[in-house]
Amino acid sequence: MKIAWPSFGAQPAFWLALGWLLLLAAVALLAPWLPLPYPAATPDLLHVSEPPRWPAAGPAHYFGTDPLGRDVLAGLVAGARRLLLLSLPAALLATGAGALAGTAAGYWGNQHLRLPLAAATGALGVAWWALALPGILLAYILLASTLVLMLLTRWPLPAAWLRRHSLAFPLDALVLGVATLLGAVPRLVLLVALAAGPPPSHWQLLALLTLLAWPGTARLVRGQMLQVRVQPFIAAAQASGLPPARIWWRHALPHASRPLLAYAPLSLAGLIGLESALAFIGLGQGPEVVSWGSLLATVRQDPAAWWVAAGPGLALFCTLLALQKVAKTGEKDR
Amino acid sequence: MGRWLLARLGRAAVAAWLIASLVFIGSRLVGGGPEQLALSDATDLSRPTGGGRTLARQQAAEQAVRHRLGLDLPLFYFSRTARPPVQWQWHGPANQYHRWVAGLLRGDLGYSYRDGQPVGTLLGQAVAYSLPLTGSAALLAVGLALGLGLYLAPGPAGWRRRLLLGLLAGWQVTPLFLLALGLLLLFANPDFLNILPGSGQAPEAASSVELVGYWLARSALPLLSLVLAVLPELTLPLAALLRHELKAGYATTARAKGLTAAQVLRRHALPNALLPLVTTLTDLLPTLVAGTVVVEVLFGLPGGGRLLAEAAAAHDYPVVVAAVLLSAAARLLGLVVADVLYFLADPRLRPSA
Repeated sequence: MKIAWPSFGAQPAFWLALGWLLLLAAVALLAPWLPLPYPAATPDLLHVSEPPRWPAAGPAHYFGTDPLGRDVLAGLVAGARRLLLLSLPAALLATGAGALAGTAAGYWGNQHLRLPLAAATGALGVAWWALALPGILLAYILLASTLVLMLLTRWPLPAAWLRRHSLAFPLDALVLGVATLLGAVPRLVLLVALAAGPPPSHWQLLALLTLLAWPGTARLVRGQMLQVRVQPFIAAAQASGLPPARIWWRHALPHASRPLLAYAPLSLAGLIGLESALAFIGLGQGPEVVSWGSLLATVRQDPAAWWVAAGPGLALFCTLLALQKVAKTGEKDR
Repeated sequence: MGRWLLARLGRAAVAAWLIASLVFIGSRLVGGGPEQLALSDATDLSRPTGGGRTLARQQAAEQAVRHRLGLDLPLFYFSRTARPPVQWQWHGPANQYHRWVAGLLRGDLGYSYRDGQPVGTLLGQAVAYSLPLTGSAALLAVGLALGLGLYLAPGPAGWRRRLLLGLLAGWQVTPLFLLALGLLLLFANPDFLNILPGSGQAPEAASSVELVGYWLARSALPLLSLVLAVLPELTLPLAALLRHELKAGYATTARAKGLTAAQVLRRHALPNALLPLVTTLTDLLPTLVAGTVVVEVLFGLPGGGRLLAEAAAAHDYPVVVAAVLLSAAARLLGLVVADVLYFLADPRLRPSA
């Protein structure tokens, strides 16, 4: 995919937005080496709810402290790092998984992905054997019939019969069904319910966010693929004898993934909002994790401490606005 | 139309039941909640007197709690032994899942792990508060979106419309909790504008009229945040659709035969523009339900969202599962409402005979 970057003169807001996002990423990457006077998660109980101070010498709470005594500046940096290590990978994974599942579902539909009988019996047999279901003999029969079916393809007559009697794998129904299942409950409610157990680890939370985010991408890309699939160049590729998987991967998928230039930033923005809301409610993370959402939540204990809300709130708002701007430019770029 | 609606509803209902089942089984698999929760009170009470509490007695007490809650039964109809001589066991209907589903069909949602109250009662009290909030937010948002959409339809000419469009675009990305927090800090802040009560206790010994007035004032900010949060999603597409429709040939014809701009907009463009908007309405109720979680936690309101958040924080799984079911039901309701609206908005969908 070729991306036409707009010039600065034409789109100053886009470059400002990109600059903010890059700054955020740089701060998050360099967080361990930044000369911050205080750690993010350790409360400074001598200075609780302290307003911002800019003295000439000595370490100070430049952005003030929250009602728990945590340094707001360090919290901002830690929150940016959390975005980089949690929300961004989740959005990337969800976009990738959604693009793969959605394009595959749109390209093959319910009828066109045909599996030979041998693959079906083989998979069934292996699964039966691996799960040790009762009646292990059946697993052996299935595996033996797989071998027989594979051997039969050597003779022209049974091979032709087998080609005609292949099994259609309902890929489209499967993908749409799982997406419907995950969409049956609002994402925040599902996330809150899934976070009801012991606090999830970083990787579990990443997996949860990815799980909740991929259906949107998949639906969008599937709809796009339904239009791409009937284009003449796909028919030309099929006529030239390319294998379907190659047509899907090299020719159809890049076309159908084009709207993701605009959708991926929005999906990231949605995930950031979701993750911040979860942290704001006070779920899904241990007390030692500092994020913008959890920092914002502390302002309820001391509504006079405007500096606690202003920093993370502005940072969150600017990030989401920047992502929206990038998404809009990506939309025009199509 | 009817069969299509039924099929859609059936799919959504199956999805709701499946996701609730998954959450139920997942919560029971995670475990580690109820017996500690139920025992923590007892241990706290018995610590001063019963100093010689042995591990065996502790385990026996845990076992008793598990038995009382029905957690000593197998989880599902069948199970598989984890250790090498792998075997599958069939448990029949004496399992936790079967009991849960059977209770559900009788309208029995189980008992809260925290205080032993029936979940149905807890949820009923909470929904009695949340439903008016969500419903009025939905109605207000739709009404406001219609008005604003009609106002914005002629295009971003003039500084007022431009400002409004910019504001709406900014709102669109703002998460609800940030919006609500901003409102709380602006209007319910003892150090700034303290116009509306944001949180705290209801006034003691007040008359019922005063109490209703108090809760109405308490609900103003949450309502406002909910409406503002969903307003851009409704207004911006409506304005764009109206603008698109005004460029169509039939709008030109209508203007040519001498109708005023307002008449063209209301009578001719609006019905066509409303149709795609109904799809957005399907998502409105779930969005609002998710919004109540944030808003009720922030403003300390005794509704269903806060019940869910607190239950999740306390590992009170029966309440969590019931709340998930309830929000799935809200989505089903959204689907029905949207389909009925489709029906009303588009004469082509009505059965001709």
